[in-house]
Amino acid sequence: MAAEDARYRQSSQYLLWSFSPSQLASIRENTNAAARSAIAARLSSLPASSSNTLSAPTSSANTPDPEGSSTPALPEFLTPAEEALLVTFYTSELLRAGDHANMSDEIKATAAAIFRRFYVVNSIMTYPPQEMLIVALFFGCKAEGHFPSISEFGKTFGKENPDDILAGEFLLCQGLRFALEVRNPFRALKGAVMELGLLPDIEASRLAAAERRAREILRFSPLITDAYFHYTPSQIMLAALSLADRGLAERLIQETFHYVAPASNNSGADTPMSDAATTTTAPSKRAPATRVGGEEDKATIIGSHVRDKVLGAIEACRDMLAKELPERREHWTNKTVYKAQLQPLRKKLNKCRDPERSNLVGLQRARRQQAARKDDSDDEDDLDGQARGGGGGGGGGGTTLEEDGAVFGDAANLKGHKGGGGQVKKGLEDPFGPPL
Amino acid sequence: MAGSPFGAPTAAPAPDGQQLDLDGPEQWNETVKRKYVKEKKIGEGTYANVYRGHMRHDPSTLVAIKKIKHQDDYRDGMPPAAVREMKYLQELRHPNIIRLLDTFGTGVDTLNFVLEYLPLGDLEMLIRDVHRVRYGVADIKAWMGMLTRAVWFCHSNYVLHRDIKPNNLLIAADGEVKLADFGLAQSFADPGRRMTANVITRWYRPPELLFGARHYGGAVDVWSVAMVFAELIIRTPFLPGDSEFEQIALICKHIGTPTEENWPGVTQLRDYTVPSEVVPVWGKEAYMGRFGAVGADGVDLLVKTLALNPAKRITAHEMLQHRWWRADPKPTPKEDLPRKSGGEEKMGADLKRKNGLLDEENGTRGAKVARKLDFGQAK
Repeated sequence: MAAEDARYRQSSQYLLWSFSPSQLASIRENTNAAARSAIAARLSSLPASSSNTLSAPTSSANTPDPEGSSTPALPEFLTPAEEALLVTFYTSELLRAGDHANMSDEIKATAAAIFRRFYVVNSIMTYPPQEMLIVALFFGCKAEGHFPSISEFGKTFGKENPDDILAGEFLLCQGLRFALEVRNPFRALKGAVMELGLLPDIEASRLAAAERRAREILRFSPLITDAYFHYTPSQIMLAALSLADRGLAERLIQETFHYVAPASNNSGADTPMSDAATTTTAPSKRAPATRVGGEEDKATIIGSHVRDKVLGAIEACRDMLAKELPERREHWTNKTVYKAQLQPLRKKLNKCRDPERSNLVGLQRARRQQAARKDDSDDEDDLDGQARGGGGGGGGGGTTLEEDGAVFGDAANLKGHKGGGGQVKKGLEDPFGPPL
Repeated sequence: MAGSPFGAPTAAPAPDGQQLDLDGPEQWNETVKRKYVKEKKIGEGTYANVYRGHMRHDPSTLVAIKKIKHQDDYRDGMPPAAVREMKYLQELRHPNIIRLLDTFGTGVDTLNFVLEYLPLGDLEMLIRDVHRVRYGVADIKAWMGMLTRAVWFCHSNYVLHRDIKPNNLLIAADGEVKLADFGLAQSFADPGRRMTANVITRWYRPPELLFGARHYGGAVDVWSVAMVFAELIIRTPFLPGDSEFEQIALICKHIGTPTEENWPGVTQLRDYTVPSEVVPVWGKEAYMGRFGAVGADGVDLLVKTLALNPAKRITAHEMLQHRWWRADPKPTPKEDLPRKSGGEEKMGADLKRKNGLLDEENGTRGAKVARKLDFGQAK
């Protein structure tokens, strides 16, 4: 079986939602720019007198109203940095709301992660973060396998109308590219504590204290920073453990990367596998999936020379988490901070919201009307092309994944995951099947 | 410039007076949708409709498009089965697990899953068609191998399928068996977290779930694999109970009565009740008569998957290490496996069904309604 690293590299968290810091910054800039231009177009096309955000615009997007006088001055838009600050603020609000509803750590963490993912590709000027954070909590429950009743859930947050929440559900899901799984580091921490507990010279009280603190960190620090975008769950866990008790984290790393390779095959440092083990601040998406099997691969996974790379990644993650230690919860609720830094931004946000989309219920209603206009019953025609008899058998396995790559950017280089043809014989020989 | 997960967002196109403009993620959705052309409907059910479709740029590549219906009886947004299926199929890529190629939305909020097209029906069709489909041990070994690898892969990714049965095992054009329908799937729970016991179609449901266990693991799926194994051999469901009570009675009669001796703690399970006459657990020899076709090694594997005590039941991983796979006869190459035509309607039927139900329960015999799932609290 493939090593855990190889398996992680098949996860949507890695394929779709892991970026280097510069990639992430660039995507956020694009999102901000696209939102500005879309909102500007929509605002300009609004009749000045009408508050009906859905009235048909008469002029094309970027052309000033011929009458001139009715064109409203465009508001000042949020910058990418301001958006990032507000997203962080709203993430802290999300975590507080989750506490208020007594949700589990896993649900809160998943909700926070999907909220932040959504706002990588959507601007808070487009969709209202105050509402979306409740939607993220609701959907976070579902993604974690709990299916609350919407009316009870809504009551917890003072939302009497289920549509206030449900109107954002599909939107959120689409923003996530329908990838719902979030890999959280809580279980990794349990595993680490169990492993450390087996070592004879580690005091139980020290271990317990470290676990408590590390867990406290995991419940906050990686969630309101970009840690989930840059690091694997185990790297985040080790960084948190290191902040709690550096000695214990280093010990665990020593114990893990203990393998001393036989002299022969020790050139693994540059293989994709060791890249993955050390997925640092710039995960390489181009690494082909590798198969891990025999002894010789051990060196590239747990060889002592891999250790330094791992330590580097953990140190960088640790620095990121250290900026938002759990004590910073108070920072985000502090009145002075709020008045000085956040309130002005929220005011600014209120003035540059998307007239078409900042009201989720209204947006959904408009979509329903649009769909109804288009087709009274169904959306069957959506996919219609020339219906063809279609040629013979041919399972769908040959679908062009390359095309995915073109659509998704290189983040989704799925080549190598195809169930290979040509592996038939091997499949019969090995009960575990051919390599994936 | 770094790629956005949606490709580079561009400014909204000029409004045409009717349409809402498309933002980045919506444009991406359109792009995905445009990759496929929907053809005819091949199945219609309560949970979903299934269509055949093909790639727009390559009409010879067929797909199945599963369009999730809005449930009248579920008012809490996106239905659980759709959420589960989307979550798990997105992550699991394995030759023996149905491949989710894409997901896109149509209309306001309708989900569409693009799945690989599996035209040759399902294992149940082959099992039942006693007159026209003949198969032997080598074929059973091939099918079981593919099923066991699928289950092992799920479990090694910490996913429980929770609805393994012959008609969830679809067959690809090349004969490959694919585990489908992840609408009841669930991640392995953390120790201590309760899960619902009301999963897995009754005939394939293990004793611990029949007794109401709320903490369980991969062993529940392994029991279902055992039931499929037995059914492949005898070509009729091994333990077809009409009720949960009868299901327990059949297990006691044919496998043995779960007791504190063979399963410490079983009597503490919430719904533990067994017929008063205690049947000792049958040994391997007892199975040789009815199941001996797969040989002594095959029966050995069967018996190990039928362990009453889930802690003693063989794991999917251990199953794959069993000597039976390497014993003669070797598994049939998948291209040479028995097959039958006319499977298209069946794929449609298989994909649209509600989860955890027998066909009869889904059909017109409405008297037997599956128990409502208890999805737990939002905690």
